[in-house]
Amino acid sequence: MKAFEWTNPSSVGEAVKMLGVSTPGDIDEAPRPIAGGQDLLTTIKDYTSRPVRVVNLKNIRGLNQIKVSGRGLTIGALVTLSELEEHADVRKSFPGLVEAVHSIATPQIRNLGTVGGNLCQRPRCWYFRLEEVNCLKKGGSECYAANGENKYNAIIGGGPSYIVHPSDLAPMLLALGASVTVVGAKGKRTVPLDKFFTLPSEGNIRRENVLKNEEIITEIVVPSSPVAAHSTYLKFKERESLDFALASAAVAVQLGDNREVKDARIVLGGVAPIPWRVPAAEKFVTGKSLTPEVLAETAKIALAEARPLEKNAYKVPLAQTLVRRALAKAGA
Amino acid sequence: MTKSRDNRDDHDPGRRKFLKGVGIAGAGAAIADHLWVEAEAAERPATPESLSGTVKVVLDVNGQKREAQVEPRTTLLNTLRNHLDPAVTGPKLVCDVGTCGACTVLLDDKPVYSCLVLAVDATNKKITTVEGLGTPEKPNAVQSAFVENDALMCGFCTPGFVTTISAYLKKNPNPSPAEVREACKGNFCRCGTYPRVFEAALAAAKGSQA
Amino acid sequence: MQQQQPQAQPSPSPKPKKKVRVPKVVNGVEQMVEIEVDADAGPGWGPNDKHKLLNQRYTRVDGPLKATGVAKYTYDQRLPGMLYARVLRSPHAHARVTKLDTDDASKIPGVKAIIPAPLTEVRFAGAPVAAVAATTPEIAGDALRAIKVTYEVLPHVVHAHHAIRPDAPKVLADENNLAEKAKNGDAQKAEAAFATADAIVEGEYFTARIHHVCLETHGMVVDYRGGDTATIYASTQGTFTIHEDAAKELGLPINAVTTTVEHMGGGFGSKFGLGLEGLLACRLSKQTQSPVKLMFTRYDEFVMAGNRSGSWQKLKAGVKNDGTIVALQARQYRLGGVGQGSQAGQPFIYRMGDTYREVYALHTNEDSSIAMRAPGFPQASFAVETLVDELAYKIKMDPVEFRKKNLRDEVYHRQLERGAREIGWSRRNPVAGGNTGPLKRGMGCAVGTWGGGGNNQCKVDVTISRDGSVLVAVGTQDLGTGTRTYTRAIVAEELGLGIKDVKERIGNSKLGAANPSGGSTTAPSLSPSVKDAAIKARMLMAERVAPLLGNPKPEEVLFADATVSANSRTLSWQQAVAALPAAGITSHGEWRADLQARGIHGVCFAEVEVDVETGHVKPIKMVHIQDGGLPLNRLTMESQINGGMIQSLGMALWEGRVMDAQLGMMLNPGMGDYKVPGSLEMPEMVPLIDDEDKREAVIGIAEGCIIPALGALANAVFNATGVRVRETPITPDKILMGLMNSTVLSRQ
Repeated sequence: MKAFEWTNPSSVGEAVKMLGVSTPGDIDEAPRPIAGGQDLLTTIKDYTSRPVRVVNLKNIRGLNQIKVSGRGLTIGALVTLSELEEHADVRKSFPGLVEAVHSIATPQIRNLGTVGGNLCQRPRCWYFRLEEVNCLKKGGSECYAANGENKYNAIIGGGPSYIVHPSDLAPMLLALGASVTVVGAKGKRTVPLDKFFTLPSEGNIRRENVLKNEEIITEIVVPSSPVAAHSTYLKFKERESLDFALASAAVAVQLGDNREVKDARIVLGGVAPIPWRVPAAEKFVTGKSLTPEVLAETAKIALAEARPLEKNAYKVPLAQTLVRRALAKAGA
Repeated sequence: MTKSRDNRDDHDPGRRKFLKGVGIAGAGAAIADHLWVEAEAAERPATPESLSGTVKVVLDVNGQKREAQVEPRTTLLNTLRNHLDPAVTGPKLVCDVGTCGACTVLLDDKPVYSCLVLAVDATNKKITTVEGLGTPEKPNAVQSAFVENDALMCGFCTPGFVTTISAYLKKNPNPSPAEVREACKGNFCRCGTYPRVFEAALAAAKGSQA
Repeated sequence: MQQQQPQAQPSPSPKPKKKVRVPKVVNGVEQMVEIEVDADAGPGWGPNDKHKLLNQRYTRVDGPLKATGVAKYTYDQRLPGMLYARVLRSPHAHARVTKLDTDDASKIPGVKAIIPAPLTEVRFAGAPVAAVAATTPEIAGDALRAIKVTYEVLPHVVHAHHAIRPDAPKVLADENNLAEKAKNGDAQKAEAAFATADAIVEGEYFTARIHHVCLETHGMVVDYRGGDTATIYASTQGTFTIHEDAAKELGLPINAVTTTVEHMGGGFGSKFGLGLEGLLACRLSKQTQSPVKLMFTRYDEFVMAGNRSGSWQKLKAGVKNDGTIVALQARQYRLGGVGQGSQAGQPFIYRMGDTYREVYALHTNEDSSIAMRAPGFPQASFAVETLVDELAYKIKMDPVEFRKKNLRDEVYHRQLERGAREIGWSRRNPVAGGNTGPLKRGMGCAVGTWGGGGNNQCKVDVTISRDGSVLVAVGTQDLGTGTRTYTRAIVAEELGLGIKDVKERIGNSKLGAANPSGGSTTAPSLSPSVKDAAIKARMLMAERVAPLLGNPKPEEVLFADATVSANSRTLSWQQAVAALPAAGITSHGEWRADLQARGIHGVCFAEVEVDVETGHVKPIKMVHIQDGGLPLNRLTMESQINGGMIQSLGMALWEGRVMDAQLGMMLNPGMGDYKVPGSLEMPEMVPLIDDEDKREAVIGIAEGCIIPALGALANAVFNATGVRVRETPITPDKILMGLMNSTVLSRQ
């Protein structure tokens, strides 16, 4: 762990200011915001991040609240994963979100880890996390996973980097149509989650989202939607006790009078560098009853774009299973 | 305390608590959906105090105020073990990245990994380690049940398990076996004590209720 | 055992010997060997069902200390002025260090010493290059990164199937990558025997490299501040394996160095000797004249602290329709990195007619494997138990019956029958993958063996003081197996006292000698010496109290329920000890071969549920039946059996080192990516002690109970799915690919 300066702003403005006043030699030496610190500290320990300053967000007023109104759910970025999991209104109205948050890590991590932090986690790819390896995402010239030990890497949307996004909340929030409020030096902007995460081929390859160094997420807004009540999150881990997703499926549906699908959101986790929405599968299933044949075909379409690497072809049938089961569960 | 940059005049350690209170009643209530007070952006933000080098922290450990000289990067775990005098070595350093549970302590009564908490971020919070739960002469119910059920072998994971389960039983005094497993899924043992850890947790729950 | 009539032998003098025959297991083959014991060797343990403490369930004496965080481990030592040391690792799998520039590093405030590691050519990534001592571990970490190392990078190879190629980079200077180690049997006879077989199974089997993952990493605190003496706090399995080498490093006489190990956080075979960590800590301590703590980081631990060698085994066996295995050809590669690796010879414990095997070390640029709980046995067991299962299915014979047919030892037969009952074998669908629905249950079984005998190393003192206190002292170490606890219990039982009435001192090299704890040798080496010392103490005390009891012979004095009695007269313990001299009495116990034995048997049955649409394997139930002569403590023995099953379960389903061929590095040197099982992985576990074993002798069982479970689990997965995964760990990707391709997988 490289030494850093610690600062305790008490407002968003102060935080943004403290994140901005430094010209780092490398993007990974820029000041970093800390909330729960459950991912950030691991990246500092493995030198993936070497921030000159760590800016503590936890004294900022108001950002540790959950608000429920007719318009939907507003989750402060500093709300811990445990608080979200245990919130009565969330439990009542957003079952998929509760499943997603419950699937994260361990009780200890959920007690400190925050919703904002979960969305901003860095990848878990072992090449990326090894201090000695200067991979593409750390400014090097090669993605070692592409032709290496890529069992856990991306089957969709990869290249030139093949990381998968580690967040469990992101696929579910994306399925629920959530957006994030981002504040930076130039003020506030609202970013829908489907515009928040960036593919390695289109955004800054050193980052996984649109946030600039001095920007922070202040809140996540989940609109009221008929699909929320029929939402579910299925996560498949190699080791149930503590693991990241080998694959996951976030599904939210609205059912018609004859239990046909009126609206469907299907987002895959653990298979792509970003939470991966599958509009073709959503379109296919819309208007149909969830028969075994429809479920199977939807799952097949959801993974149609998969281009597995040498050691992760298994993720295709795995993710298909999860899509099928999640749809069946959400539509039950 | 080293202050590298400082143009504020209030660094009241109680400030955090105060702000938290204000947040709920004040700012949040003012704007129905948005939690952040946008008006604040119009204010010229101050430059908050920064800490670097070696700083003094005061920690509330097992009911005692304990002082230590640490760096901002020093974890709570390393502070307890390496910087308090006498040391608090119940929490163990095993993985150092939040993947094993041996360093579990209670922060304001909630189990957390002390390897993933900075000491500078743990001031003004109640820290309870396994030593604060009981002593060999006066163990708590979980500690007794661990001994009675042989829920430990080498014992290096034991403080973490005991701490996690003690907190969990306060939250859920009558857990099912499945709930016990779920509660300690963030604690790992290598000798292979799990079956008896589960038995001990259930026995402690039963004993406390009797 | 108050009923016994011991003949006291308090003074050691040359004695006539008698010969006894004891079983010994060599490479999985049990042989009877003759050993000598004293002709008048004293009373034995007595019948296994006549003990008051032993063979009962009693709690650990150090339990309260461990459960409250009070127990002090090596990692917990903090001495005044102590420095924290860290090791700089090579990022290259094969390189020469041409320059070590420590100028910048040594200028960092708080850095007190930087020393080079004692080698210039590194042959694996993670090899130590230098070590630093600083005032905090954080500063030591800064210093490591400020050291500039210039390497001449050399070609490397880390995957076995690359290393075996003739053009592969050479790993060792003095041995080819593929080095023949043994040839056993008659190749032509075995080849000919296949002609008599009705069915033949041929396969390649792999087991991944496994890490010990001791929760307390390797390390020591060397307390040397100049002067004439030094103390070493070590996380070790051998209290007496350190001070001699440490003294050499420190330039002190051997007897000036004391090693202590009060509590230690797991070893599993990996913690013997001074080790590199101790050597570097000594040098840093000597240079700085300050106490130095060098504990490996978790990353260090994965790449420097050893591992269980991997295996690659090519097996071919022939079987008759009646279930008789008639031939085996085996080609066994031990994957020990720069080390030799270990692997029991095939056909392990099975009778397979005409057998022929070739054994090789196959080297890669990886750190050397070292001992790990039953070295070489789980690897051999996994391959042969899978093979045996395949043979049974091939001729459509029940796997339990098939095993009985090809196992000579009747003990396995009774254990297999009991295991089958316990798991509910009759519920098993004999058709692999034959159950309906995506969640498929399956069952499997396997057997195992180990030696578990002791040796003559332990010297134990028992002191009874005039205040009634009893102290048993020996330098041995408690790895978490319960050594402290049974050491007390043996003495307490012999003296008719409760376990709380006796105190023990262990873990110090100034106390009586003791063997290092490896190969399940501790209990059979230590407990006879403790028993001997206890009997002698009892006789010495009996002599002293005899005048108060009407002068009975010492062996007629009864010690029971904290009283001492004879001739219808009874003394309380306090009355009795008042008759002792001011200095109390001290007895010296020696090892007795007749109090221990060797040769154990175990079987494991496993039931799993496999989700064939995700590849997830959920262990449902595991049963392990283990014999072991006299159980010293049933409670802790059951815990040991659980531990063996769980570690084997980890090997079967999740654990394995992953190496990158191009970088030559381990990719999962942490507890997130190297996946040891956790609470949600646990099945219902049934640890059973085989009380049909009536041997009145102590035998070590720790190794025995780690061997068969991974084979049992692999066979259960096959029974559930019809997919035969011949490579550990049996992870979802392999099962799914197996289901997709219906082919046997091997990716190494």
